[in-house]
Amino acid sequence: MTGWRSLFPNAWYIAAREFRSRVSSKSFIIGTLILAFLAFGITQGPVAIDAAVGANQTHLTVIVRAADVPLQSADVMDAQLNGVSADPNAKKAFAVIWLPNGDVAAAQANLEDHKSDALLIVDRDPVTRNLTFTLRTDLPADGATVRSISGAATILSLSDVARRAGTSIDAVVKPNFVVQPVKASSAPASSLSQELSANLLSTGLIVLIFMAIITYGTWVAMSVAEEKGSRVMELMLNATTPLQMLAGKVMGNGAAGLTQYGIVLAAVVGGLVAQGPLHRAVVGGAGSDVSFGGLSPVVLGAFIVLFVLGFLLYTLLYAALGSLVSRQEDVQSATSPLMMLIMVGYFMSVFGLQTIDEPWVKVASFVPFLSPWLMLARVAVGHVELWEFALSVLLLVVAIAVALVAAARIYSAGVLLYGQRTGLRQVLRAARVSR
Amino acid sequence: MSLIIDSVSKRFGEVQALDDVSLEIKPGEVFGFLGANGAGKTTAMRIVLDILRPDSGKITWNDRPNTEVSRDTWGYLPEERGLYAKMKVLDQLVFFAKLHGVKPKEAERETLDWLERFRIPEYAGRRAEQLSKGNQQKIQFIAAILHDPQVLLMDEPFTGLDPVNATLLKEAFLEMKDRGKTLIFSTHQMETVEELCQSIAILDRGRVVVGGTVRDVRRSSGRQVVRLAVDGDLEMPWLHSLEGVTVSRRGLDYTETEVAHGHDPELVLQAALARRCRVLRFEITDPSLETIFIERVGQIDVTERTLAPRAVLA
Repeated sequence: MTGWRSLFPNAWYIAAREFRSRVSSKSFIIGTLILAFLAFGITQGPVAIDAAVGANQTHLTVIVRAADVPLQSADVMDAQLNGVSADPNAKKAFAVIWLPNGDVAAAQANLEDHKSDALLIVDRDPVTRNLTFTLRTDLPADGATVRSISGAATILSLSDVARRAGTSIDAVVKPNFVVQPVKASSAPASSLSQELSANLLSTGLIVLIFMAIITYGTWVAMSVAEEKGSRVMELMLNATTPLQMLAGKVMGNGAAGLTQYGIVLAAVVGGLVAQGPLHRAVVGGAGSDVSFGGLSPVVLGAFIVLFVLGFLLYTLLYAALGSLVSRQEDVQSATSPLMMLIMVGYFMSVFGLQTIDEPWVKVASFVPFLSPWLMLARVAVGHVELWEFALSVLLLVVAIAVALVAAARIYSAGVLLYGQRTGLRQVLRAARVSR
Repeated sequence: MSLIIDSVSKRFGEVQALDDVSLEIKPGEVFGFLGANGAGKTTAMRIVLDILRPDSGKITWNDRPNTEVSRDTWGYLPEERGLYAKMKVLDQLVFFAKLHGVKPKEAERETLDWLERFRIPEYAGRRAEQLSKGNQQKIQFIAAILHDPQVLLMDEPFTGLDPVNATLLKEAFLEMKDRGKTLIFSTHQMETVEELCQSIAILDRGRVVVGGTVRDVRRSSGRQVVRLAVDGDLEMPWLHSLEGVTVSRRGLDYTETEVAHGHDPELVLQAALARRCRVLRFEITDPSLETIFIERVGQIDVTERTLAPRAVLA
């Protein structure tokens, strides 16, 4: 089969030409700039939100007018509102200012200036001797914040009653509280926020693969159709083999895609790094530190492997389908079956993230056309054995080899078929006798 | 030592594109494929180039199957011309040459040399889309020969060229022949064939109707053409009375007759002299290729033979 004669250096030359013409095109430059700008902007979202709404920490001023409330009640209040965190540097939901016999008028002025969100005034009922609480705030009365404050007030009351009875519940209000995983052998228990960020991260990575394959796969199909439409194809057919062309196109456009991808990712990282300083400049205060929440080397490695393989598999097929049409306008409809397939994989993985241990998710994570997404989802959430990953990758590689042969056949037949729209039957017939 | 097409057949669905075609093209020869549209010329070339595979039959070049011959053996100028629209002329010619294994430096030197000869050296840095059709065609010709192929296959190379550019291209053609290349081209233009080709094959609906040297093909009908002019008599009505002689064309300077197989054309001259005519012109020749073609294939599509660029007509 002549198609299998030496792939290089011609595939390199074709790849280099594809890359150069793609990268120097106006649409590439403008598209990349817009995407990078958008990506940077999105990473500044938290800063913008903080700047608009104020830091999402609730500033609570407590003025204690009741006598005989000990200072350590401030600690009790803090523990109740912010929970018992193992990390002393964790950001607190509530910033509590405890003012025994504080100035109510000054606190009221702070409230009106939005320097604080809520003012809690603690008095003692002259008859029952119990503590009474008055909360001044514009926060919704039935909201979570007010509920938290009222819960803390209940504990303060209890502790006050206990103390007056000559005992103490201090040991109980700051209990020795340990969190353990379900099975002793499984990974260290992740906190809710870690689990959330793992979910978010894998969704993010899945979207990245999804976008890249659709965008850059379409590029490949476009460039094939363009070559066919401008009839350069016939010159190319004498100079090269279909396989060389196919490989060159996938590599060249893939490299151009990765270049755009790299620039956009650089903008994202730049944006994350800039978050802190920008936050300080715009909002004031410490701001949140850079966090790539849960992006472990394992997840990153799996992402790269699955991304490259998935990209290869789909772009080969994009090239094959692109060869069936000779006008760029027809590329969209010719490649719609692939689009459907990609959508299926994407949505399955997004839903699968919620039910990651279901059997259907496991099975789908081995199916070549779905595995780039579903296996990634499983890896990101961390419920996968090494052999499972290896098997999935192996199947993907086999599928790529099959796709390569099939695509080269369809391609070499398709590029010579000119006409309105080439039907699948025509192509298969031509593919059988082409080189 | 030649290009042999051995009983090649190719079918596209309902259409029999080639039907048991056998031809031999000698090295260093200029060979013409003649045929109406859809006769199978392009298919034949694509099969020789191994872009298409035949259903049956085989192709050999110097006794080696074409599937094993290096692609650099062939230079191809497709009928449907195309270049990368946004790419500079020099860049794309170097690119095509590189695909055939030519070193970039060498390719660049050769390209500039050819652009000079085609009188378009200033186009090296222009994008292909800025060139006229005729100039694009010259660029494509250069693309086909930069890697110094042994065999040059050109599909309708003269279509769409103005007379000046057609002449430039013919000169390049002849130079390739002098370099010992084998040239194969298809055309509708009989004058070009008679001017350039040593051998031809006339294709009709996938079959070779007649093939061989131009001389043999012209003699294949057995008839001969006599051109006669006598002083003071344009009509020459007595010609009709001669056996085996038919008047095929009347003109102001001469009258053309065809003499059927088995009759001596000399008789026409003798008849004229017997009538005491003063003979100004007497010429015995073979029927033109056009006559043969029409006889074998039928009327040629006249619009395809014009020298005007196709794009203008379309």
